[in-house]
Amino acid sequence: MERRAFVRLLAGAPLARTFQISAPAGTPAVRVVSNYKAAAMPGIPGPYPGRVVSVKSDKCVDVATGKANDEIVREMMASGMRALTGAGTTRDAWRRFFDPSDIVGIKVNCGGYPYCVSAYEIVAEVVRRLLDTGIPESQIYVYERFQNQLDEVNYAPHLPAGVRIVAAERANRNVDNSGYDPAVYLEADLFGEEDTRSNMMRLVSQRLTKIINIPNMKDHGATGATGCLKNIAYGSFSNVGRTHQRGKSYTLSLVGQLAAVEPLRSRTVLQILDGLRGVWHGGPFARTTRYVFYPRQIMFGTDPVAIDRLLLDIIDNERRAHGAISIWDRSPASLKMDDTRARDADPNVNIIIREPGHVEYASSLGLGVYDRSKIKVQDLSV
Amino acid sequence: MMSLLVAMLMWSCVWPQGVASRAKISFTTDSLTSAELASREALPSPGITARAGLASPTRSPWIVANGWRVTRRPGTKYVYSLGAGKAGLAAAEAFAYGADALLKIAPEDVGVLRTIMAFFDGLPASDLPNVADFAVVDDGSAVTGEVMNLLARRNLLFEVVKAPSDRFRINIVVGSREFPAREAADPSAFALKVRRQLTDEQRTLRVYGSEVVIARFTGDAGRARLHLINYGGREIEGLRIRLRGAYRGREAHVAGVGQVPLQDLVVAGGTTEFSLPRLTTYAVVDLEAVR
Repeated sequence: MERRAFVRLLAGAPLARTFQISAPAGTPAVRVVSNYKAAAMPGIPGPYPGRVVSVKSDKCVDVATGKANDEIVREMMASGMRALTGAGTTRDAWRRFFDPSDIVGIKVNCGGYPYCVSAYEIVAEVVRRLLDTGIPESQIYVYERFQNQLDEVNYAPHLPAGVRIVAAERANRNVDNSGYDPAVYLEADLFGEEDTRSNMMRLVSQRLTKIINIPNMKDHGATGATGCLKNIAYGSFSNVGRTHQRGKSYTLSLVGQLAAVEPLRSRTVLQILDGLRGVWHGGPFARTTRYVFYPRQIMFGTDPVAIDRLLLDIIDNERRAHGAISIWDRSPASLKMDDTRARDADPNVNIIIREPGHVEYASSLGLGVYDRSKIKVQDLSV
Repeated sequence: MMSLLVAMLMWSCVWPQGVASRAKISFTTDSLTSAELASREALPSPGITARAGLASPTRSPWIVANGWRVTRRPGTKYVYSLGAGKAGLAAAEAFAYGADALLKIAPEDVGVLRTIMAFFDGLPASDLPNVADFAVVDDGSAVTGEVMNLLARRNLLFEVVKAPSDRFRINIVVGSREFPAREAADPSAFALKVRRQLTDEQRTLRVYGSEVVIARFTGDAGRARLHLINYGGREIEGLRIRLRGAYRGREAHVAGVGQVPLQDLVVAGGTTEFSLPRLTTYAVVDLEAVR
């Protein structure tokens, strides 16, 4: 479906609004506007707070070529979903989350093209399992914010023709706003920017009933790591690049605050962290293989905080193995503000003071369990 | 033959546009004469440009805009000397601010200019005063001019006055204790200070969804007209506008497009919000106050 046609389809939905005020000490004041109420059990943290299933396989990716093994990935997916839910069959496991009436969005991550994006094999298997629960192809949406990124990654050849692949904007140029809901937004004046609103995608607020989040295991220059929280939050709202610039990042609070906005929080029911491949520096981008590594695992859960808590260690450990500064490093000596060339050339350079504390902050909003001692990890091997 | 062609391309129009002045736009593809240059103040070509360290090239590019100059000196005659592709934007700017302007344009822009001038012709007549949230006392200095430039760039609506006016809560006098001249040396920070004093809640106008649109807002107790000028060179979809006050309106007049219905209009809490589905170079939105 053409992006413009899709936007027209959603335009004109009824507007109503409620206001929430949130201004925790030490973080920017924000105003959240949404007319959506939380579900009785919001998808985040969902039925399995503090629970993570990690499925590993040495055979899932050929580290020499970067190519994934589709058969192994399917097996990893089935094992992970059964273990998470305790269901006897894979179909029953998926039916714990979805029924045929659902309109499901699959939030992928295309920012790490070409070396680290939500894997075709994982996305295709998710679609197969949704179809198996009786959801029609036309009720399945693969989405990202930017159409040019989706075009680069090109999921279409890997998916049934009826599955919709949609974006809110053509590219990151700040000229297409029609794909965003004017009635659902977070407002904050961070750096004195004129456009102080970040609006939720209309697809999320007006169309989808459930969302599956499929981020990657990546380093991130502003947040330390980008996993479940960052992908679903910054990948579902407009105008979020304004939160980190000139060496300063307000992502500490804003990642969690965006993820908590209804109906995004309630509808995001499943987290699948794609760790077939990863990026330990220079993220969220992966234009070269220099900083790509291969965790060769997939994590499953409903608690994005718990999964991201594990991710922080994975990224930091990989950086340590390469002799790079920690994602927790806040030293001014490591900072070369806005110098992306220096950052790309040297893993001991930050362009912004990173905020890996965003994961713990999100836990304070009730989005999940951060305390490592309280997170139950079930390790499986395929 | 050439002089005949040039004569054919000379064009001049006058529109009732604002109280303090009347827009009068003429254009030529010929070189400007020394008499024309001497009798008019030259304006820079409007648009966006990259200025290292001052603005992000993607989100907040540096805007060259002249509306503040016309607001400051409405009776002055202006001249633009424009490269190809700039005629429509310059004409929109001159029209929106009611300028008396001569445009030296590239021959290939004649069609564009005639089209947008025909668009101006088709707009409902309007003769409404400027709406302003605060005053700037004009001492005639370049520094104060640059402050006006940055205020306009941020859609902070001001009125130019000769002396502080008790009609406004905020009167900006550059060089005063409240607004020291040293602060005006950084006009961007200065504009932000004014914005924070005014507060976003109290601003008559907010524009969401772009950093390259400058608005002029005119109105009285019953009616209002909003001019939107897009300096970015790319069409914008879904621009969101917030106005203090309760208004009703149905459509925008969008240059090159025609009448476009306003979307998602909400009147609540003493404010009016709506979205403009498309904004080319220029659009006008006429509104009626709701009592």
